[in-house]
Amino acid sequence: MTTHPTTKILNRMVQYQTQAPIHETFAALADPTRIAFLERLERADATITQLAERAGISLPGARKHVRVLEGVGLVRTRKQGRARVCTLGPRRLEREAAWLEGYRRTLEERFDHLGKLLDRLKEES
Amino acid sequence: MTPQGNNYKHTSAIIDDRTIRVERVFDAPRDLVWRAYSEPELVAQWWGRGNRVDIEKFEFHRGGHWRFVEHHEGGSDGFEGRFREIEPKTLISQTFEWDGMPGHPIIDTVEFSDANGGGATKISATSHFFNQEERDGMAAAGAEAGMAQSYAALDSLLERMK
Repeated sequence: MTTHPTTKILNRMVQYQTQAPIHETFAALADPTRIAFLERLERADATITQLAERAGISLPGARKHVRVLEGVGLVRTRKQGRARVCTLGPRRLEREAAWLEGYRRTLEERFDHLGKLLDRLKEES
Repeated sequence: MTPQGNNYKHTSAIIDDRTIRVERVFDAPRDLVWRAYSEPELVAQWWGRGNRVDIEKFEFHRGGHWRFVEHHEGGSDGFEGRFREIEPKTLISQTFEWDGMPGHPIIDTVEFSDANGGGATKISATSHFFNQEERDGMAAAGAEAGMAQSYAALDSLLERMK
């Protein structure tokens, strides 16, 4: 009946599971260090050592964060001599943005219907 | 009454990558709005956005289980969760999970406040998605203790089997 049932949105999450599932992307983004890494890489490629130094964390710590980002396709790494260089991966966040937008619409539609119900209740009382 | 009836003002904003907040002022007193959220037969009249909703469970208290099934042209879908916190006429916080993706709850918090000197009610609904920190936090807290226990149990088992 409605144009954007929650289900449709959620189904889309499942459909996309051939790539990293959307909830994994959200999980990967659920960390300020990883967000900072992505922001840094948007400007230019960097080695893991550079990322670690800039964030003030250990090299193994930085490696762990990079691995999480790499796992969902947000970052790609390549060997360059003895260093590992990170670059932004093939994944962009359009799907995530679309998903959030769909969910927001669902909440708005619920409010529309809540408003109608409240009008009816007020008339009755 | 305003020209648009109940929904005379609304704002909405995406706060960050994983949080959505939608706010709206309803031209109805807080008591009435609270009833629409806390009485299952009233919830069923708006939650489905025009689709039929069966309220299978509605234990409206902290820790209580809720379960709704929404029916639409393509079939039906189940949603469920638990109430995390309820403050009458002020706040409802609950988890929300779709049957199709178990184990990935969204945390929904709805806050109610007076608007326009009490004749109207502002509702602020915040959805927090896939709160990995929270789950990781629990996992990390439990995992070490659990691991130590398992190792101890394994040690004693190996000891006995020698």
